[in-house]
Amino acid sequence: MIPEGDLADKSGTLTPSNPTTLTTWITTAEQAPAADNKLTKLLKDQLGVTLKYEIVTPDNVDQKIGVMLAGGEYPDLIGTTDLKMRLLEGGALERLDDMLDTGDYPNLAEYVKDDIKKMSYSGDEVDKGLYIFPNYNRFYGEPTGGVYYGPAFWIQKRVLADAGYPDLNNMTLDRYFELIANYKAKNPQTEGAPTVGFEVLASTGREWGMTNPPALLAGSPNNGGVIVDDKNHAEIYADKDIAKDFYKVLNQQYKAGLVDPESFTLTYDQYTAKVATGAVLGMHDQGWDFQTATQSLQSAGKDEYTYVPLMPVYEGAKPWYADRPVMNTNQGFGISVSSKQKEKALKFLDLMISEPWQKVLSWGIAGEDYQVGDDGMFTRTEEQRANYKDITWRASNRLTALLDVLPKHNGQFSDGNAYSPDDQPAEFYATLTDYDRGVMEKYGKKTWLEFMNPQPENPKYYPAWNIGLSDDANQVNQQLTDANVQNLPKIIAGDPSQFDANWKAYVDAIHKIDVKVYEDAINAGIKDRLANW
Amino acid sequence: MTDAPVSTLVTATGIEPVLEPASTSPAPDRKARKKAAKVPRRKITWDRVWAQRALLAMAVPLLMYQILFKYVPVYGWAIAFQDYKPGRGNIWNQKWVGFENFADLFTGVNGERFRRVVINTLGQSILTLVVGTLGAIVLALLLNEVKNMPFKRVMQNITYMPHFLSWVIVASLASVALSLPSSGGFINQGLMSLGLINHPVLFLTEPNNFWGIVAGTSLWKELGWNTILYLAAITAIDPSLYEAAEVDGAGRYRKMFNITLPGIRPTIVVLLIINSGWILSTNFELPYFLGNGLISERAETIDVFVLRYGYQLGNYSLAVVAGIFKTIVAIILVGSANLAAKRLNQETLV
Repeated sequence: MIPEGDLADKSGTLTPSNPTTLTTWITTAEQAPAADNKLTKLLKDQLGVTLKYEIVTPDNVDQKIGVMLAGGEYPDLIGTTDLKMRLLEGGALERLDDMLDTGDYPNLAEYVKDDIKKMSYSGDEVDKGLYIFPNYNRFYGEPTGGVYYGPAFWIQKRVLADAGYPDLNNMTLDRYFELIANYKAKNPQTEGAPTVGFEVLASTGREWGMTNPPALLAGSPNNGGVIVDDKNHAEIYADKDIAKDFYKVLNQQYKAGLVDPESFTLTYDQYTAKVATGAVLGMHDQGWDFQTATQSLQSAGKDEYTYVPLMPVYEGAKPWYADRPVMNTNQGFGISVSSKQKEKALKFLDLMISEPWQKVLSWGIAGEDYQVGDDGMFTRTEEQRANYKDITWRASNRLTALLDVLPKHNGQFSDGNAYSPDDQPAEFYATLTDYDRGVMEKYGKKTWLEFMNPQPENPKYYPAWNIGLSDDANQVNQQLTDANVQNLPKIIAGDPSQFDANWKAYVDAIHKIDVKVYEDAINAGIKDRLANW
Repeated sequence: MTDAPVSTLVTATGIEPVLEPASTSPAPDRKARKKAAKVPRRKITWDRVWAQRALLAMAVPLLMYQILFKYVPVYGWAIAFQDYKPGRGNIWNQKWVGFENFADLFTGVNGERFRRVVINTLGQSILTLVVGTLGAIVLALLLNEVKNMPFKRVMQNITYMPHFLSWVIVASLASVALSLPSSGGFINQGLMSLGLINHPVLFLTEPNNFWGIVAGTSLWKELGWNTILYLAAITAIDPSLYEAAEVDGAGRYRKMFNITLPGIRPTIVVLLIINSGWILSTNFELPYFLGNGLISERAETIDVFVLRYGYQLGNYSLAVVAGIFKTIVAIILVGSANLAAKRLNQETLV
């Protein structure tokens, strides 16, 4: 029996009278749903689907993947974010092209239609084809949104307030640290804890917090470990002058007591916890990466401890911190080869990307979590907005872990509403606290995104950081990362008189590595994309 | 079942010498002992096998276990000579590359790194082993002298409790203990209030501290546990030896050095031999959880390196090469420890 309403599966594959249990493996930092979750119940009532979750945080995923591959037994649905594509290349995932060609999965077919080349695997380890549905930034319509999730040098709003909301255009490293230094001198303590000037994000797997700034400072968009020039040629920059200049500044600021000496021993969790105390005035990071800290500061009502993104650049460079949202290829859900119910699993994904379910997953239930106005636009009450930010409420009323890896209707729905409340322009501005609105008014902006550079069209190959690498190139990349992780903290924390010696040791360590293998692999990937995308 | 085979078995496991002082004089003559040890082996005949059939049958399951789980899996070493990819199907369906993986691990940037992680593994393990053994012996001797039983029990319980904590917990305890006072670093706080240091020390940023931190943390966790074996060995010493020594006018320290220590010497030696086989395989958790970029030159051990460059990069072949290396070195270490013990006229494993 198929229930009434547009949430039901009209094809009759997933019905409440014929219950389905799907084992679901997800890599995400989002929390698991609570036992009484209302959307879990909705899935059961409408589709008869029960999800059995195994949620692995990104920090622990490396071991887990190795064990899964060695065992060869997989859950039905695999939600991976592994850029090394180990599950895909290890043969854990089913090639989906033929299943999609049956026409039984219209919503997924629509999802992949225009970008099938970008979404497909093109390497040699397994058959070429579609294995994973990217979880973010396949846009329907135009991107909208007010929050900035990309890389920036972040600064606490209280620092700007204290400095009388200084002009943020033409930001330089010197001005950035000057703002921090002035504030820290006046406020050595934050709620009983010592105020931290600048935190360096250097924990395993997130070393880019420490290694990416030189490229951004030089006006290059985020291509990971390389800078790609106008002729689409990639080269590492870790050993170049733009890097040396940045670490020299950090070294001086470390000596001056602005850089947190504990930076290099903090794990990611400890880093997040420290940012969440509100004692950290600034850091270089990507917005999504410390979102849990931001959320916990917001739910504690401490908006003055949350951050504004700044874009310092070297003289003569034009900031290109913000880029057009990039599709998260190779990250998202796939169906495992060992699944005994591949059709059902795929049908589940197909239904989840349908507009009615996307609204449920992203906005909630109409009338309960949002209202539909006479003009068809979605709005929320204060209480509904507060709920949406409340971590405990979310556990019982949203499926954030599942949604994180599911394909999404980013952009707009066919009725003109934005994919999520955060992207709905009217909602975004209305949800701002008075404090945040005050900060924006001082700068004459309407969204946080407006604090960033206007985003030019992305280069065709962009971004280089998600180019899949061969084993050899992966190993060189790891060696480079290790050289960074081992040497940069010494350079930053070392005595300034030793800077040149430390820098030389670092450059020597890099030159011992066969960097060309890595650069060649990246350049081959760029060429491939220019030819095929 | 007759008495004879049982006593032969006991001799073979090396437990017998602990019991030996009961039947000989307190200071056994070395030559006499050597002679006793060289009793010619009795020939194995079918009659004897038949007589011991029950014992042999009991040994079969264990033998099967060893063969099934320790010898059969060795075929997996084939991976070391392949460019192994799980996606290609089973282990015989792979690309063979000869000694390429060995060259990859032992030469170039990896080789330099691998030499360093071998040194770190040896350094951390040996330091841990020496500190741990000495600590356990000293604590066992001290506890043995405690005559107040309730106090002794409480002490023993307190010292062996940490053994039951997982390494993850111990590592986070250590990381908090060693951090800055503002993050809860009570070691810094203690040292500062004692006036031993003026500024807090970031213990986990100084490479040369790390081996000591590993040994110290392991000592804290395993001290009481390791003591149990020695205390058990001490109880096996014949009380009449102590009585005789007392009659001869020996004091507490004399008895400790001339009876207790020699009494547990076989246990010490056997434990050292056994542990020497683990030297390359211990020390994964602490270096993994406490290591960071600044100290990795001293912190990274073989297992951590293999995890990062083998499993995490999907390079299983490299991991297997490292595994083979560890096995060979472990066999050499156990063999030489055994040989050394034999030379020193001590009890041995085989």
